[in-house]
Amino acid sequence: MKRIGLVGIAAFIAFTGAKGFLAVRAQAPAASAQIPNLAGIWDGTTRARPVNSETVPWGKDNFPVLNERALAYQKVFDEALAPKYDCQPATPPAIEYDPYSMEVVQMPDRVIFKYEKDDQVRTVWLDGRQPTVHDMSLQGFSVGRYENGALIVDTDHYYFDITGFDDYNGIPSSPLKKVHERYWREGTELKVTVTVEDEMFLRKPASYTTRWLPQRPGYKMSTWDCDPEASRAPVKMMPSKYK
Amino acid sequence: MNAHRWTLTVGLALAAAVVMKTAPALAHHSSAPFYDATKKVEAQGPVTKFLFKNPHSFLYFQAPDEKGQAVEWQIELGPAASLTRTGWTPETLKAGTIIKASGQPSRAEGSHGMCCAKITRADGSPIVAGGRVTEEQQPPR
Repeated sequence: MKRIGLVGIAAFIAFTGAKGFLAVRAQAPAASAQIPNLAGIWDGTTRARPVNSETVPWGKDNFPVLNERALAYQKVFDEALAPKYDCQPATPPAIEYDPYSMEVVQMPDRVIFKYEKDDQVRTVWLDGRQPTVHDMSLQGFSVGRYENGALIVDTDHYYFDITGFDDYNGIPSSPLKKVHERYWREGTELKVTVTVEDEMFLRKPASYTTRWLPQRPGYKMSTWDCDPEASRAPVKMMPSKYK
Repeated sequence: MNAHRWTLTVGLALAAAVVMKTAPALAHHSSAPFYDATKKVEAQGPVTKFLFKNPHSFLYFQAPDEKGQAVEWQIELGPAASLTRTGWTPETLKAGTIIKASGQPSRAEGSHGMCCAKITRADGSPIVAGGRVTEEQQPPR
């Protein structure tokens, strides 16, 4: 009876491991191995960092150098036009900094980022696949690799977005936007450096570094379920820029 | 129903100086286009609707405007995801509950909105039992 049980457990582990279903789910201490343990639910609220604003995370030390096209877009930008007021989800480099929780699931062929904000899911492919022209999307197409104890993520194939770089400062992003992310562990913290290139709007790459803290045990990710009425309700409180 | 409205001008120059000093060039501020941080309004009346939602919750209540006419006020609150952390639920404020609120007035002509409001029950007690009476932080957008 005991032998059958052990055989069964061994067979289960072999099966799940072979199928790639043995996802890492707990925040164990940072590993010194090549593949860091990034899995778990991470807290990005004010416990971990200041709330985003017009000067956070893009402040005087790292504010992007905009080209003339971007400055022209900024000048005509109308807050009422921001797609967030119609429940369009945030994208990198903003979504990583939104003050909510994020879950990371590591699998052999992919890493999945689930954001509480806007119910967004990003899949980072580790299997070498490349995007096709049909892979344009709001969150772009992400490929990744492990390197020196960090997860490196490169994302492109984004749609044009009038506030795709930063909504607080009305900075757009183009389909040429490329987002480079490096995730690593420092003790119990998860850290990331996000770097953005977009030759259509930025004179040079811009980047910020931030962190998450482990979310409390038992925490359940809540659904965002954006409400269209609540999303647009603030706009009528603002004088219209254009008649 | 008691209600009154006032405007604070003390600190206007100081607030403007702080904004000019800290804001990056060409910044589109998160709350400034919607609400005037240099002014304050106060009103009291019965809740008509509580929208406990993401990305922002909204509390609607009826109270007189500056001309004494009954209007529906709209208070912008944080997202449900954040309010939940402080004990709020969709049932926290039922229609008919009298509340008192003071906060920054909305800018659009003819609008009756508030943000960053301090909200209490009619007797001045916290909305959530055991909670604190503080000004709501401007929710992230």
